[in-house]
Amino acid sequence: MPPDQPTGYLIVSAVLFTIGVMGVLTRRNPLIQFMSIELMLNAVNLSFITFAHYLDSVDGWIFTFLVLTVAAAEVVVGLAIIVSIFRSRHNIDVDELNSMKG
Amino acid sequence: MQVFDLTWLVLLLPLLGFLIVGSLRLSGWYTNNEMITWIGCGAIALAFIFALISYLTLVNSATQASDSVFWRWVQSGSLHITFGLRLDALSGVMLLVVTGVGLLIHIYSAGYMHDDPGYWRYYSFLNFFIFAMVLLVSADNFLFLLVGWALVGLASYLLIGFWYQRPSAANAAKKAFVVNVIGDFGLMLAIFLLFIKFGTLAYGGSSGVSGILFTDAGGTAAAPAAFALNDPMIIAITLLIFVGCVAKSAQLPLHVWLPDAMEGPTPVSALIHAATMVTAGVYLVARTSNLFNQAPASLWVVAGIGGATALFAATIGLVQNDIKRILAYSTISQLGYMFLAEGVGNYAAGIFHLTTHAYFKALLFMCAGAVIHALGGEQDIRKMGGLRQKLPWTYWLFLVGGLAIAGIVPLSGFWSKDGILSTLLALGIAPGGNLWYLVLYGVGLLTALLTGFYIFRLIFVVFHGAYRGGEPVPQPEGQVDTRARQRRRGDPLARVHEAPWIMLVPMLILAFLSVVGGAYGTPWADVLGQFLAPVLGSSFSLEQFIPQGGWLWVSFGVGVAAGLLGILGAWWMYVRRVPSLKPMKNPLYQLFLHKYWVDELYDWVLVKPIVGTGRLANRVVEGSLLDGGGRGLAWLVGKTSVGFRAVQSGYVRNYALIFLVGAVLILLYYIARP
Repeated sequence: MPPDQPTGYLIVSAVLFTIGVMGVLTRRNPLIQFMSIELMLNAVNLSFITFAHYLDSVDGWIFTFLVLTVAAAEVVVGLAIIVSIFRSRHNIDVDELNSMKG
Repeated sequence: MQVFDLTWLVLLLPLLGFLIVGSLRLSGWYTNNEMITWIGCGAIALAFIFALISYLTLVNSATQASDSVFWRWVQSGSLHITFGLRLDALSGVMLLVVTGVGLLIHIYSAGYMHDDPGYWRYYSFLNFFIFAMVLLVSADNFLFLLVGWALVGLASYLLIGFWYQRPSAANAAKKAFVVNVIGDFGLMLAIFLLFIKFGTLAYGGSSGVSGILFTDAGGTAAAPAAFALNDPMIIAITLLIFVGCVAKSAQLPLHVWLPDAMEGPTPVSALIHAATMVTAGVYLVARTSNLFNQAPASLWVVAGIGGATALFAATIGLVQNDIKRILAYSTISQLGYMFLAEGVGNYAAGIFHLTTHAYFKALLFMCAGAVIHALGGEQDIRKMGGLRQKLPWTYWLFLVGGLAIAGIVPLSGFWSKDGILSTLLALGIAPGGNLWYLVLYGVGLLTALLTGFYIFRLIFVVFHGAYRGGEPVPQPEGQVDTRARQRRRGDPLARVHEAPWIMLVPMLILAFLSVVGGAYGTPWADVLGQFLAPVLGSSFSLEQFIPQGGWLWVSFGVGVAAGLLGILGAWWMYVRRVPSLKPMKNPLYQLFLHKYWVDELYDWVLVKPIVGTGRLANRVVEGSLLDGGGRGLAWLVGKTSVGFRAVQSGYVRNYALIFLVGAVLILLYYIARP
């Protein structure tokens, strides 16, 4: 049986999100960055589900499924981009990919 | 007898000639010169025949005018603009002059231009000119008059600049066009005013339509009743019309383009800048005589400008050294005579002088062309001399033309010039006559004297004495290079030969006309005057223009004496004594030689300020204001973007950090919001 208050879930969600943010900001490998982004998305999913349960509303569930779908699509596109970058440059260090510098 | 009105064919044939000659060559079809000659001359020859038929049937019929409307162009409310051609005495005479002299010059050109690479272009332009001129003289409303008026200006521009490789020719063409546009603008304003006043642009007349110039169905002259005498509106209209005439006919103060127009081929000078186009102004004043008669004040302006120009141009002609420029100033001077006659109300005398002048001035130009042709493009009379033996035909023909223009009895020039002078005398001595008539008579006489002098100076310097130039190198007129001449031993003129027959025959015909062409305008049998009278309104009757009693003979005697005195003066200075062609220190000579510094004056008063204003505007408005504004804007955008560029580092993680900061800031905003 879940506890009466959602505080614990939300703290976990915030921690996960922060870990994800730090991962995106500090790692230079795009694969790790993708993982971190997934972490952030799932942190959000966790808070959606938490609120859906405690507010007794179905909106949170629906959003979760949308987020999952978008995350899957994003991974497909992102991995494809990473693969083709790697094929052309033999290097996927994000700091080396600065040809869009203004 | 029925009038056999073939004016439309006269208009159409030169247009076809222009199109065929032009398109055959442009479409890449090989056409030899002979074919071009046949098409070009043939179109004009047929046009001349049709003009002659129309004219002869008109003379022998009771009708005064035949007006055929071909096309209703604009019909909008009360505005009706039709395209129609009017054949009456005035346009008939003009058609004969235009196509007749035009035909002779087309034939002459076949000899003169035979080795020019632009032969086809020359003939197509020449045919185009005849088309435009026919449209001008036979249009039956003011709109198509203006169309023809502008098209002859275009033809003139194209033919002056025919040798467009020469900067002087291109500049002369531009100058002629610009000055003519001033006149076109004046004429256009006059036509606007006419439309405001009458609500129509038709001349009116024969088709029973009441128009501007003719009110009755017979097409005879009837003064428009819409105006009181000297109504300010009619004075404005007539003066604006006259502005057009002044520009087209090279009168003071817009005469500056005609001498420069001599840069064109000599037959063009003969046709356009002596015989036909420049007389369009004379034609227009005669055509609108009904309007001018209602504005005596404007008529005095016409007479004054005509007289002043006649004298002014004659004095310049005295001292010029370019064979064609002398003739150009002579043309301006003779056109002044025509306006003088029209200004005192004797329109018929103006038209009469127009026809005889067309004969002898075209003849003189053709002779000058023959001389230039023989000398390989030389135009400076100081480098000529003694050509009488080498060019006997040209010499005698030139002499006929010279005697005609000097007004020696009984050549055509005598009758027409004396028609003008005796008109002035008759009006001056008539009871209650205005003293100004006698002043103008004096001006006319003085001009006659100067005319005799300058034309015979030309003849004596070119044909008498000893040859003063180097050996001419045979070249077409366009590519004259005087430096290419080399002095050889022996006769420098050994290879100079008389013009070919194809050039001499038209000259002979014109010489014949110059001799007998006055027969239809003598004071006793003024056939032309009687014929034109119904079309030309005048506040005087024809009889009033003939001095009564012995005065007619006095006028004849004085007129011929003036011409002879001029010839004698020229003989004294250039045959009896060794001709001195060096510039004199005499201030009067300097004044004439520099053409009264009119070109310089215009340069200072008009051209320089306009060019200066343009330069200033170019620098301030274009440079500082517009360009400066644009550049400032670009600078601002550039500087701003340099600042923003720093944000685009290209590092993905940088962007992610910015996202985060942004998200946190938004979050803080919602948290901090009360």
